[in-house]
Amino acid sequence: MRGQRSIVWIATAVAMISLPAAALAQVQGAGLATGSYSWLAPLCLAACCVGAMGVIFLGIGYSRFAGVITSIAARLRSELPSAMACVCSPRALRALTDAVDARLADGDTMVQRLREELRDLQVRSQLSEREKRHTEAILYSLRDAVLVVDGSDRLLMANEPAARIFGFDAVHARREPLAEVIGRTHPDFVELLRQSRCNRTEATKRELIFTLEDRPHTFEVIISCVQEDGRASGVVAVLHDITKEKEVSQMKNDFVSHVSHELKTPLASITAYSEMLADGEADDEKTRQEFYAVIQSQAQRLNRLIEDILNVSRIESGLIKVRKEQASLTILIEEQMQMIRSYAEEKNIAVTSGHLIVYDQVYVDKDMISQVVINLLSNAVKYTPAGGHVTVGTEVDETARLARVTVTDTGAGIPADEIGRLFEKFYRVSANNKLAKGTGLGLNLVKQIVEKVHGGRVFVTSQVGVGSTFGFELPLATADQVATV
Amino acid sequence: MANKVLVADDEIHIIHVVAIKLRNNGYEVIAANNGAEAFDLACRENPDIVVTDYQMPVMTGIELITKMRADERTKDVPVILLTARSFAVSQEQQGSLGVASCLSKPFSPKELLKTIQDILYQRQLAVKC
Repeated sequence: MRGQRSIVWIATAVAMISLPAAALAQVQGAGLATGSYSWLAPLCLAACCVGAMGVIFLGIGYSRFAGVITSIAARLRSELPSAMACVCSPRALRALTDAVDARLADGDTMVQRLREELRDLQVRSQLSEREKRHTEAILYSLRDAVLVVDGSDRLLMANEPAARIFGFDAVHARREPLAEVIGRTHPDFVELLRQSRCNRTEATKRELIFTLEDRPHTFEVIISCVQEDGRASGVVAVLHDITKEKEVSQMKNDFVSHVSHELKTPLASITAYSEMLADGEADDEKTRQEFYAVIQSQAQRLNRLIEDILNVSRIESGLIKVRKEQASLTILIEEQMQMIRSYAEEKNIAVTSGHLIVYDQVYVDKDMISQVVINLLSNAVKYTPAGGHVTVGTEVDETARLARVTVTDTGAGIPADEIGRLFEKFYRVSANNKLAKGTGLGLNLVKQIVEKVHGGRVFVTSQVGVGSTFGFELPLATADQVATV
Repeated sequence: MANKVLVADDEIHIIHVVAIKLRNNGYEVIAANNGAEAFDLACRENPDIVVTDYQMPVMTGIELITKMRADERTKDVPVILLTARSFAVSQEQQGSLGVASCLSKPFSPKELLKTIQDILYQRQLAVKC
């Protein structure tokens, strides 16, 4: 259409230019016709024809356009007044107003509802955020190590204990691939988590050993695959340190082993000597008396051992009967030194005392404190080689209102890293295991009696190859306690 | 000539009662308080049989037997192990160490004597054959 219009315009323009040129050619006549421009007249005529055609087409086009405009105008003239009258009537206007009002009311309701929904979403978002923080706080407050990875094995969350075990920064390692965070140091663990995710394992329990603070620790590791919409979206690993439980279990086993050995040893003597007597192997009265004495001493040894075991148990459970009275530490210590001397002489060990006289009295269960002293003395003699010395010392601290007793030996000594565990039940110094037998109960009983029953304190200092000093402090008897006697 | 028995135990009463039982039955008894002493005596005195406790200070019964088996002078001496720990030494361990017999404490001196007699008799038969 646009092309047609252009052609028409061009034709009109050619006609406008050609008409004057043709007229001019007629007027000048032969002058031009006989000259070098004789071809100009036919050309102008042809152009005039083309121009005339263009004018005709243009006329047709414009007449059609005028018709369309005329019809629109006629339609407007006939319909507009009735439409305007319809719209502008009061009734229609009211209906329109009501409709607009209703629409506006709907809009308000919708806005209100959206606002409420927005508020609800904000509250939910805050709750969700709070729950997230709460969950994180729970995770971070756990003593167990917790490590969470996503479906692409990237670290989602890890608490401080986990960071300590695996040696990474819990905050900076977030969203990092686990293999990059701990893969170099713990490739097996990374692979275990990956396999759990791939196999969609619900809960796997393993015992794994990791080094923590330069010590191997045993962990019970529970690995669970997190499943969402039937696919594994991550893995949670919880690591519970069971090193202590393992050690206690081992100590219990050792205890049973030690105790059975300790019980069977005197029992072996009693059985053998009884059989010898029954078989008439002791052929003279002196030998028979010797056998009777052995049987008696071994029976007493057995009884002491059983009492030790029971006393530890009774003190721990609070069932032991305590009979406290005013007592002299000096007398108690002297009595026990007399008892240990024969054993010490067998081993060629001298047991001596410094200035033992303590004028102040203590308020104690005499039998129990005697047991404390004999346990310390027998340990000192047991772990001191032949030719050594055991010295007992006492002193009174009037300011602190307590009496202090020390037993110093020239024995094997105790390695520094084992001193802290000496008073634990069943614990035996590994390096000194071969020097003497024992149940690992003696020092624990000392601690229980001194600290739990009498409110005192035990202490120890030691140097390997030089010797050890074990001691205890007891509060001096108060005026009230002395008065009650 | 009397057979010589080396008894190793850190319990003086056990050594005493075993020594009386064996001497009353014609054996010569030498004694040690720990494994190290026992090994020295075994090398020096050339006993016919050794009776040793399992748990002893300085050197245990097992360490003593291991050392004896590694030494040319003592590698063939039969050993009876006395132990208060019934499951401390497995049958396999006894076999590998060449323990002739293992008795649990408390033990009967009569049973020990019979065991010693049996072992020494078997060895005499083996030598004759």
